[in-house]
Amino acid sequence: MKAAAQYFKNIWDAVSTTAAGMRITMKYWLFEPSITVEYPDRLGKGIKAEDLAADRYRGFLGLNLSKCIGCLQCMRVCPIECIKITTERLENVRFITRFDIDQSKCMYCGLCVEACPASALVFTKRFEGACYDINELCIRHIKEAVKAAAPKSKAEGQNSENRTGRINEY
Amino acid sequence: MYSLADIIYRRMTETFGASDFLEPLFTIVSYLLPCIAILGIVSLISGALTLLERKISADIQNRIGPNRVGPFGIFQFIVDGVKLLLKEDIIPDAADKKLFRLAPYIVFSSTVLAVIVIPFGGPFIVADLNIGLLFIVVVSSLVVVGFMMSGWASNNKWALLGGIRSAAQIISYEIPVALSLLTVALITGTFSMQEIVKQQGLYPWQWFILHNPFTFIAFFIYFVSSLAEINRLPFDFPEAESELVSGYNTEYSGMRFGFFFVAEFANIFVSAALAAAVFLGGGNIGIDPYNSPLGYKLLMALVFFAKALSLCLVTIWVRWTLPRLRIDHMMSLCWKYFIPISVFCLVLTAAWLVAFKGNGVFWRIAG
Repeated sequence: MKAAAQYFKNIWDAVSTTAAGMRITMKYWLFEPSITVEYPDRLGKGIKAEDLAADRYRGFLGLNLSKCIGCLQCMRVCPIECIKITTERLENVRFITRFDIDQSKCMYCGLCVEACPASALVFTKRFEGACYDINELCIRHIKEAVKAAAPKSKAEGQNSENRTGRINEY
Repeated sequence: MYSLADIIYRRMTETFGASDFLEPLFTIVSYLLPCIAILGIVSLISGALTLLERKISADIQNRIGPNRVGPFGIFQFIVDGVKLLLKEDIIPDAADKKLFRLAPYIVFSSTVLAVIVIPFGGPFIVADLNIGLLFIVVVSSLVVVGFMMSGWASNNKWALLGGIRSAAQIISYEIPVALSLLTVALITGTFSMQEIVKQQGLYPWQWFILHNPFTFIAFFIYFVSSLAEINRLPFDFPEAESELVSGYNTEYSGMRFGFFFVAEFANIFVSAALAAAVFLGGGNIGIDPYNSPLGYKLLMALVFFAKALSLCLVTIWVRWTLPRLRIDHMMSLCWKYFIPISVFCLVLTAAWLVAFKGNGVFWRIAG
């Protein structure tokens, strides 16, 4: 008798559990929209690949030349030496003559961004680095010599409040 | 009996005049033309089903699915077919080359053979055999030969396991399929598919699924066991990807694999079409299928395809819902549940027919 009851319970279980599963998949089939992002070419109007990256994403390094004071701190702190900067002094004016960042070597540790006292060096959201020659990834930020920005006064620069404020800004 | 072949034959004798000399030619042409048409339609339908399957699976999994080739990706299956044609055709060195080459054709032809007795609504049936229902049951189990042949000839342990599993599965599920179809044969008293469709009607209460409670159960038993017979999930043991690489067709490539693929999807349509014709009234809209205007005949075909395709959708929906069973569960489901229940349905349908003089539950409404 018990076995017979079990037999019919098995049938009922099979039917009801299948129905529950089918109900769930039907809900997804008919009502849930797709969440696929058609990445390279069909992102939708006005949406760029950079917009897909999250905030504080560590993409390619970007340089704000109007802020850079040519202090070489980023070059010194870089553990794999992928930043190369040269400066020259001409009649008491400092010029930055070269600012190369080899993105193919960069490991995106962010030490240079933290070290930059003028917050000139920042992470951008650009992440598409595919190219035919690896040398194309060595990005030359300076085409011709640029006057280095004037550094802030020493007292201001060592002000701890200002320092934290700068870090928070990025 | 009317069928497409009969109609074409009659047309030809009317236009060219009946003669003993041309008679064999007429017969061959009148059967060949619908067969070629059916072959094209079945290939097209199985192509459309591959696309449908990919689209529905994408919808269920919150994806988009193929959408690059043509509007909404509707030409994807053509591209797939072209790709398969262009692929290299590899035959393993250790394979039994003759059997290896023969197997896909046997699988494909057994599927297409089943299609010739499927009533597509109205007069659209290639050959209205008086053993139609039996013919489908017999021919669809011919697939086993092809599967075993491909598994054995591949000389590959996965392929052989897949072939043997498919043989075990198809042969055991053949029984509930046949028994549940027999419940309808008891009611109609004939195996002719056109006649089975003709005895039903436009409205659901005239269909055999609602004839009595036991045919209602038999419909579901037929549907689930047909899933097993066409090797669909949750019964896709012959090609279980996680256990056997791809089952019996592991060693196949190019268009030989394409034949297996087309046959698999054509089988979905065949089993859905059979269920629609036998249990759901087929293309019957309550009008004489032979002596009515062409518009009505096409409407019947449309009704039939609507029913068959919605059952195909259910097949695909089940495939993307349920995980694969364990193989001993599959066997116990068949031998402990489906076969006893279908025998029970068969006997009780017979008892019902005796008790109520052949009338269904809704016989007063159905008239």
